Amino acid sequence: MADLDRGAEPASWTFKLSAGSFHKLSALLTLALLIFAFSFGNAAFFSINNGLTVLLQTSVIGLLGIGMTMVIITGGIDLSVGSVLALSGTITGLSIKAGVPVAPAMAIGVMAGAACGFVNGFVITKMRITPFVATLGMMLIARGVALQLTGAAPISRLGESFGLLGNGSLFRIVEKTGGIFPKVVFPGIPYPVILLAIVAVAGAYLLRRRQIGRHIYATGSNEEAARLSGVLVDRTKIFAYVLSGALAGLAGNVLMSRLVTVQPNEGVMYELDAIAAAVIGGASLMGGVGNISGTMIGAAIIGVLRNGLNMAGVSAFIQQIVIGIIVILAVYVDQIRNRR
Amino acid sequence: MKPDAQSATPLVQMDQIEKHFGGIRAVNDVSLDLYPGEVVGVLGHNGAGKSCLMRILSGAMIPNSGTIKVNGEVADIQSPHDARDLGIETIYQTLALADHLNAPANLFLGRELKTRFGNLDDSRMMAEAVRVLKRLNPNFKNLNDPVSSLSGGQRQVVAIARAIYFDVKILIMDEPTAALGPSETAMVGSLIRQLREEGIGILLVSHDMHDVFELCDRVIVMNKGRKVGSHRIEDVTKDDVLSLIIKGDLPHDWAPRSQKAVQ
Repeated sequence: MADLDRGAEPASWTFKLSAGSFHKLSALLTLALLIFAFSFGNAAFFSINNGLTVLLQTSVIGLLGIGMTMVIITGGIDLSVGSVLALSGTITGLSIKAGVPVAPAMAIGVMAGAACGFVNGFVITKMRITPFVATLGMMLIARGVALQLTGAAPISRLGESFGLLGNGSLFRIVEKTGGIFPKVVFPGIPYPVILLAIVAVAGAYLLRRRQIGRHIYATGSNEEAARLSGVLVDRTKIFAYVLSGALAGLAGNVLMSRLVTVQPNEGVMYELDAIAAAVIGGASLMGGVGNISGTMIGAAIIGVLRNGLNMAGVSAFIQQIVIGIIVILAVYVDQIRNRR
Repeated sequence: MKPDAQSATPLVQMDQIEKHFGGIRAVNDVSLDLYPGEVVGVLGHNGAGKSCLMRILSGAMIPNSGTIKVNGEVADIQSPHDARDLGIETIYQTLALADHLNAPANLFLGRELKTRFGNLDDSRMMAEAVRVLKRLNPNFKNLNDPVSSLSGGQRQVVAIARAIYFDVKILIMDEPTAALGPSETAMVGSLIRQLREEGIGILLVSHDMHDVFELCDRVIVMNKGRKVGSHRIEDVTKDDVLSLIIKGDLPHDWAPRSQKAVQ
């Protein structure tokens, strides 16, 4: 596979793959192989219903992954997204309990996530703390605040409308039958999946077509060069962390809405899934490399693996092992490709 | 060299610039001026403070004291952005390129062209990049590749193009030929002459005596953070300049060469 590029003789075959598209292609191939293999293992795997379930399960990691990708491209890392997700959900839940309607309450939750991101960015750029340490601190702080505010107890009875974002779906077709359960012709596209698609397109647009996106790449590629070229490096980084925090907040609202309960201890280790999605999708922790479509493929690979292994009856512990191996392999393939 | 160069207002006047890091005086009470259409060589050992001085002018470093005047007016240069707004462009020794971006993206970094809707106008940036890069190097291809995959010479060309594409009035070149082969060095030489004809002031940091004597109208020599000499190029020999660089002093029997000829 890696020979594709090398073997490109100018006369016979001018098709040339860039490093990025090569990585994306191999990730897509992996995804296709996984789907193929799991379909053989279980007939129920390859169905519209299950496909939508996978997408639904992927949406939270996908949302986190988009923010994480931006941060990773700047050369940083955001370890706080799992905790920020919990804190945002908690703040939304408490706002609803305080009498705020659901939609504004969710906006408050997302804003709380953005505020956490801003603190991350501020600590990293102005106090010159490395991203790893700064966001590790925020990971503990946000989790602590969420647990302290709720006394570590879930907040339930938030009303039916709170569950709409996580459980509703578009184009749901239900056939009325005489029985107790109506027949579901098409389960509909879940709102979280639609939300993920919108955010992914917006994120890709931001990175590819807007100045801030160009500056995010430049900052991660060569921070000093970007600064000397007049790029406001600090502002660019803060922007990336704020976005990551806000998307963690959004993901938190989606997740809590799906459970129709706010769980302050939800989202532990989610940051690692988000990082894995970005890395499988071709993002480099050295900065300057990565894109949204790759991360979406990475998130889908993780989602399909979890779902497929579950349906095959593989234990959750083995799943961890498999995903760990996939992450290492993805980076290894990239390394081989770059060494040539 | 232009004989009338000295009669105009200086493009740049750096006055009593000081920069210290802790107890170390990297730049110690240095003054410098640059006139339109003039090439001034800035020489010195590694660590003599010349790069520091250039970084102060290009906004990458803020001096502890001293004033900078551009076109006779006091300029407060706090960032590379400010310097660029004053028409001061810099070609850094490290080239300062973002390796993962392609040539047009680097050329317009920080000053991206945009469409009416505020999107990046990649096609226009590409077209402009082709125009300016082909002028500097007709063989320049693969503009779409990340600059990390380009040769040293091509990378240098991108860095030079970035400095001269915009409305440059004062150009700082830090070792512009260090990474180049002979033909590219000649290209940079003719470019410097051409820019001088256009009335641009150039500060040339170089270790290459041959280049300096070929291209410069004046030289300024720094030693241990101090300016130890400022001479018209026809007044000094290579040995005089080397003595200034190494000892920080001229040979004891030195007299300006041009005056010697008159005597």
